Amino acid sequence: MIELKGIGKTYHTGGVDTPVLHDIDLTVEEGEFVALMGPSGTGKSTLMNILGCLDRASEGEYLFAGQDLTALDDKKLSVIRNQRIGFVFQLFNLLPRVSVIQNVLLPLLYSDPYPSNAREKATRLLETVGLGERIHFKPNALSGGQQQRVAIARAMINEPSLILADEPTGNLDSAAGEEILELFDQIHAKGRTIILVTHETPVAEHARRVVTLKDGRISSDEKRP
Amino acid sequence: MLLTAVVGLSQGVQKKIIEITNFFGPRSVMVFPGGRRIRGMGGRGASASTLKPLDAKAVKAELADKAVVTAGYFSGDTSVKAAGQNTQSVVISADPNFPLTFNWNVASGEPLSWDDERAMRRVCILGATAARNLFPDEDPIGKRISINRVVFKVKGVLTPRGTSPMGHDLDDRIWIPLNTGLKRVFHKDSLRFIRLNVREAKDVPAVIERLGAILRSRHHVEPPLEDDFHILTPDFIARRIKSMTRTTQLVGAGLALVALLVGGVVLMNILLLSLSERVPEIGLKRALGARQSDIFLEFLAESVLVSLMGMVLGILLGLIPVLVVPHFLPMVPMVITWKSFLYAALFALGVGLVFGVQPARRAARMDPVEALRES
Repeated sequence: MIELKGIGKTYHTGGVDTPVLHDIDLTVEEGEFVALMGPSGTGKSTLMNILGCLDRASEGEYLFAGQDLTALDDKKLSVIRNQRIGFVFQLFNLLPRVSVIQNVLLPLLYSDPYPSNAREKATRLLETVGLGERIHFKPNALSGGQQQRVAIARAMINEPSLILADEPTGNLDSAAGEEILELFDQIHAKGRTIILVTHETPVAEHARRVVTLKDGRISSDEKRP
Repeated sequence: MLLTAVVGLSQGVQKKIIEITNFFGPRSVMVFPGGRRIRGMGGRGASASTLKPLDAKAVKAELADKAVVTAGYFSGDTSVKAAGQNTQSVVISADPNFPLTFNWNVASGEPLSWDDERAMRRVCILGATAARNLFPDEDPIGKRISINRVVFKVKGVLTPRGTSPMGHDLDDRIWIPLNTGLKRVFHKDSLRFIRLNVREAKDVPAVIERLGAILRSRHHVEPPLEDDFHILTPDFIARRIKSMTRTTQLVGAGLALVALLVGGVVLMNILLLSLSERVPEIGLKRALGARQSDIFLEFLAESVLVSLMGMVLGILLGLIPVLVVPHFLPMVPMVITWKSFLYAALFALGVGLVFGVQPARRAARMDPVEALRES
């Protein structure tokens, strides 16, 4: 479903060119659960951003479900981000002044058309992640683990083909982190493609395939049974 | 706020102009001695003596079919005494056409007659306030008063008029025959005014022209010499008021504009500031699929909202001068109209849009990756 061919990224800041990714060739099939590993600074987040259509590669091709994304403009990329991709961030990134259910509904504000059963969908999703009782709470009334579950529900509201998670357990204790990883397992079991960035080996072990980056290149790509 | 006050002022001026014009009489024309350079709508300070009774006669003779004509003399505050009561009033010496040209009738008693005029009788008509001041507890008709130490008999009382748009008490006046005033009380031989009440509105311009021509020929005034009289018309009054208030209006409008600009710049800076605090939020929204245009519209809408809130506050504050000033300065016309609210709303909208565009663009153009990095 995802094909990266010869992807490279170089930042140009203040007259200095900083190359971050080189020669990335990566194919991810539908329904895979992939972990992206590597020490900080190797370009994991950059690759994530390119996969998520938030950033453009400096060179190479990105085919998403057969469509070449490299030539698309911001408007079209935004639509893909909205409909086909769900993000989960390390710091949850919920809107603090707005209730849980409204946070989950947020992506729908940018969807055209706004679905008529939006609230039902959101409520059901929150029940699935175990927060059915707290849909009107504000984020700061929830624990870290609960907030991340809200973020996951938000990522799922548009039924995306791809879930991108950037260190989703990085800010959680081990118990909460386990719960979150179990959630990801459930999501994967339903057939969704998940790419998860982490630098913790135990987290990577939940995935079925581990791609390791080193100095901006793929250094290993292992499938596990 | 300033805007409300300024618009209130200009609306008030319109109203005032109509009020004063109506008070003066829309078909009234007055001539005063002294050329244009001597200002004053009442001609009170005019010391020129170029207008003579014979002028009035000539005017009457020629224009009687088109207008009613009165000749007259105003005195300044003159001392008037009745039994035991002293007061100061304005004495109007005028011929019996006075009620017709000034639209001012007698409420009780009899008006002065042509006979009184010819005989230079010492009879008078009191205005309502003068009557009250001189005879607080009794009916003045038939009683005697002394004006400048000349004894008069009261023949009638005028209907009350109230206050002029300029704030004077109109009922503190006394009417005596013209000849009596000129020859027996004030010892003058020239007039302070000639007043015409034109019968039909369409004749007013023609009458004004003829009036000027008659006087110029009688006074042997030929261009390039200036007229030694000046004619007051409702039109002239309107223009005078307009020009007098124009300065205030312009200053007010200028200030309002400056205030709007300053307010707009402040708004823009506040928005830019709050923008830097909302970077992670923008990054998030973009990640969730917001397009640049979505972010732009969202921020612009917020800017307009803030601007409108400021407008509501401004209007409430702006009502203060409109309500307070007339209390202390009744001459200054202030009026509350829906128009001022409309203008305020439009301006607020405009400011919100114009000054909100920059920050909104900044927000929309932010690189989502950079924005997320700041989370």
